[in-house]
Parts: sequence; C-alpha cells; structure tokens
Amino acid sequence: MTATTVAERRRVSPPEARVKRWLRRIFIGIPLLALAIWTIYPMLMTLSISFKTKADVSADPGLIPANPTLDGYRSVLEREGFQSAFVNSMVVGLGTALLTVILAVPAAYAFARFRFRGRHLLLLFTLLPRLIPGLGLMVPLYRIAVTLGAIDHLLTLIVAFTGTVLPLAVWLFVGFFQQVPRELEEAANVDGASLYSRIRYIVMPLAFPAIITIGVLAFREAWNEFNLVLGLTSSPGSRTLPYELFLMTQTTGFQDNPGQAAFAIMTIIPFIFVYLRLERYVVSGLTSGALK
Amino acid sequence: MSGIDTTPLRDVAGPPEPEIPRRRRLRTLVRADRSSLVGHAGATPYVLSGPSIVMVTALLVFPVVYALWVSLFDAEFIGGPQEFVGFDQYTALLQDPDFMWSVGRTLIFVTGVLVIGVPLGLVFAFALSRATGKLRFLRGITIVPYLISGIATAVIFRLILNRDFGEVNRVLGFLGIEDVAWFSDPTLAMLASMLAQVWSDLPLVILLLLGGLMTVDAELLDAADVDGATGWKRALKVSIPLIIPQLVLATILLSYQALTSLGVILALTGGGPVDATRTLPVALYEAAFVDLETNKAMAIVIVILLFNALLTLGYWLLSRRFDLEEA
Repeated sequence: MTATTVAERRRVSPPEARVKRWLRRIFIGIPLLALAIWTIYPMLMTLSISFKTKADVSADPGLIPANPTLDGYRSVLEREGFQSAFVNSMVVGLGTALLTVILAVPAAYAFARFRFRGRHLLLLFTLLPRLIPGLGLMVPLYRIAVTLGAIDHLLTLIVAFTGTVLPLAVWLFVGFFQQVPRELEEAANVDGASLYSRIRYIVMPLAFPAIITIGVLAFREAWNEFNLVLGLTSSPGSRTLPYELFLMTQTTGFQDNPGQAAFAIMTIIPFIFVYLRLERYVVSGLTSGALK
Repeated sequence: MSGIDTTPLRDVAGPPEPEIPRRRRLRTLVRADRSSLVGHAGATPYVLSGPSIVMVTALLVFPVVYALWVSLFDAEFIGGPQEFVGFDQYTALLQDPDFMWSVGRTLIFVTGVLVIGVPLGLVFAFALSRATGKLRFLRGITIVPYLISGIATAVIFRLILNRDFGEVNRVLGFLGIEDVAWFSDPTLAMLASMLAQVWSDLPLVILLLLGGLMTVDAELLDAADVDGATGWKRALKVSIPLIIPQLVLATILLSYQALTSLGVILALTGGGPVDATRTLPVALYEAAFVDLETNKAMAIVIVILLFNALLTLGYWLLSRRFDLEEA
C-alpha cells in the first residue's frame, strides 16, 4: 500500500522525485563517507607513516610513501623490550582467555541451572565491572601486589585481568546456557551422564560461539589493558605492548615517528586479524560486553 | 535396534503441558526445575561457582575496601609509619587547588566528549541504518577503533595532529588556517584529547544507537513518509523520540569511559601543557607513581569510584525505567 503511494507520487512528478532521491542519497552518502574517513583514515595515515623514512614524514605528504622503507619496523624490532613485550602480551592474552573460560563456564552453569543461595550474586556480577573500572584497581592492586611480592610476574597480570573480565564472562555464558534446552540434559541424565559429561558433551559444544566470543573478549582486554600493567609491572622484561609503546612515546618523543607508527600498527594488526576471523561470533559479544 | 529410542525420555519430561498463561507457565517451569534434574544438587552449585566468586571478591571488591582503609591513614614521609587520620585525606583534597583543578578539567573533558561524541554518533548511526547493499560492510569496520588500545589511539592522534606534517593541519592549512599547535596550546590539547577519546569509544555509541534505530518500526516510518514527513523531519519527529533510551544510555556510557580514561590522555598530552589536560585519572597516576603519595592516591581512587558509582546508578535506574533488556 505504502509502496504504491510512494511510487505513484514518483510517477506523477518524475523530475522532482529524481531530485529528491538524489538529495536523499547525498544526505546518507556524505555522513557515510565521513564515517569511513573518520574510522579508517587515521589508521591509514599511521600505516603510511610507518613505511616512510624519518625525513619523508614531513617532506613527503603522500599517502603512498615515495621511498617505502621498513626502517620503522626495524627500529621497533631492534628496540630493547619489544620482543619480550610481544611475547608477554601473547602469553598474558591467551592465559587470560583460557583462565576466564575455565572459571566462567562452571560458574555460569551453576547460575543458569541451579537454584541456590547466592544465586542473586549474579546481579551483582553484572554491576561490578561498571562500579569498579580498571582505573580504580590500578593503585590498590599495585600496593597489594607489592605486599605479596607479586609484581612483575606474568601470572599476576593473567590473574588480575581474569578478575576484571570474569563478571562479564559469567554473565554472557549464563545467557547462552539458558538457551541450551534443558530437555537435552534431562535426557542425558536419564541415560546416566554425570554432571561433568553433561557440561562437557552437551552444553559446551552448543555454547561454542559463546566460548569464542568470551575468549576473544578476554584476549582483547589483556592485549589492550594499560592501567593495570602500569601498576603491576616495573621491570623491562615483564611489560606488555601498550606499556612498552607508552614508554616509547615518552622516550623518543617526536623523534622517531615511523617507529612509533610501526609499533602502533604491530600492536593493532594481530588483534584485527583475530577479529576479522571471528567477526560473526564476536560483534554481538563485544557490544553487549561493552554495554553491560 | 541400535538407534536410541526417545519415547521414554518424553515421559520423563511429563505429560504435554496444558495451555496456561505465559507467566504461570514460567513459574511452573521454574518449580519443575527445582524438583527434577538439578534440585538435589547440594554442594554442587557452590563448588562450581565458588572459584569465580572468590576470584572476583579478591580482585574487585577487596582492593576497593583496601583502598578505602589505606586512605584513612597518612605517613609523615614516604615509607614512614602509617598514622590513622580519619577523613583528613579527603578534606585535604577538597582544599587542594590542584585537585579541584583536576575535578574541573575532568568535567570539561567529559562534557566535551559528550558534546562531540553523541551528535557524531547519532549522525553516523542514522547513516549506517540507511546503508544497504554493499555499503553494509561499513558496519563491520565501524567497530575497529574500539579494538585498538588507548595508547595506540594516542599514538595515531599524535601523528595525525602533528604540527608540521599532521594530516589535520594540512587540511586546515588548505582552508587558510595555518600552523595549529595542537599540543602546546592548552585549549587545543584538551580538544585533541577529547577527539582521541571520542574516536576510540564512538563505535560503542554508534552500535548502540544503530541497534535502537533498527528496532524503530518500519511501518511507522512509512506512515510518516505517506504523511509527507521525510528526511530530517522524519528523523527528528519519529526516530529520535523512539531511541531516547539508547541515547541516554550512550551518553552515560561515553561519560563513564571518559571519566576513567587514563592511557589516551597520558600518552597523548601527558596531562599538559601546563596541566591543561590533567584530569582525575592523570592526577591519580601522578599521586601514585610520580609523587609516591599512596594514601592520597587511595583517596583519589575512592573519589573516582564515587563519581563512577553515581554514573552507574544513573545507568541502572534508567535502564530499568526504560526496561531495556538488551542495553
């Protein structure tokens, strides 16, 4: 009905309608173009600078470097601390993802399937990360870690990051587990499956997308986190990438622009790669993660 | 027969349910839940959820209690004996012009992020909601800045806002505005920090608003179309009122992110020039890791958490009021 009315109107006055359609296209097209530029252009510029020589950064304004070079990347790779920071970031990222899933799956299962005292802690779980951001934990955790002699251990970072991701992970898993039909488990129960095998062979395979989502979420948190690394590490060998990049901006100032660009690119690329691979699982998880 | 016969299992689940109102049915399901499969669980749920609860308590709750406790003490000199001083740290903060300056800077920073971020997010969300066909790939790209760490974001903005070769200055120079010193002018440095902060958090705003726009009834829009409301009018009179819940939540989310942003500002401006971008997180960083005044730092932590709690309370109340399951 509506379609015909609109179409009729168009048929009645073709030139006017065409102008209108073009206007509409422009009204949508300009913001879309602006969005694309806003999102991509800063990264493209950084990528471009990372392949320029130090002198060309100001001498050659082109997006495509006139004299492409890998000097920026070389200076980063040769930088003391980069390689260990990269390895640390990987270890801490994977460790956080693994520990988060291992702890969150059973807890979420309990919250989703059992009625027990303490079940209402789940609501608190959803609010805690909002109430207590990483910034608020930076200094207290630093003092606690100093007291416990836990500064500079990768395990400390893994545990701390897991603690901050865990509430969200549990919350997301509960949502997924509640969608797994109870009848499946009841059937398995009748067949004599234990609690462990029900989780392992029925719930976990069905919740596979959730595991991927939460793993990536935890990895992202560990890969990008700066505040807690600032508090919990003090020696060169134990830092992760964001802290190392921060130190580079402090020590080289505006001297080694291609180097800083290359460093930034190298911290971004691995995660973008992971993200693109798993995009269809991750987007909803990431956004709900941010919003909860 | 090797196949698994499923008929007996149906019997276990009970006879087919009679038609009952939805809410009643939910209740009966919950009751069945208690008696069947998992009712006799005993200690199992506690064992399953225990490690997570302990972990979260130790790493999220305890540090805050600890910070509150430490903030009630003071030491004459760094590493000196701790003396109980009650709330003296807090009264000292209130009388400290440097601290109040940081509170002011934080308010300016958060406000600026909102003023830039919300309208920008709204325009982009509208555009994306109309992007069809091949343009849909833009939705996937939108989220990318959110995947990048605050420090890397700061590095990117240091490059594109560079005085000599930054792309932004090139464009401004083209428009006749020459030699903009983003990082030595206090006002511009604040603006640069806001832009970087908005850049890294805008994806959340866009996706939240986009989610709201997608739920706006297409028939309603068509009806508005028929009535002659097109373009801006339709957006202002029909769509925006319908996504007010998402707009409010996006606003709170942005302020929350801006309030607790340390990495972006620290790596972009270091709090300068002349303390222009010395927001509360930067003040916290300096008290804890530069001046090594632990007790004072803990008091600042508590102040930041209080501000944050106010925002969370607002978020919670509003999301309940708007009954937003998904946000």
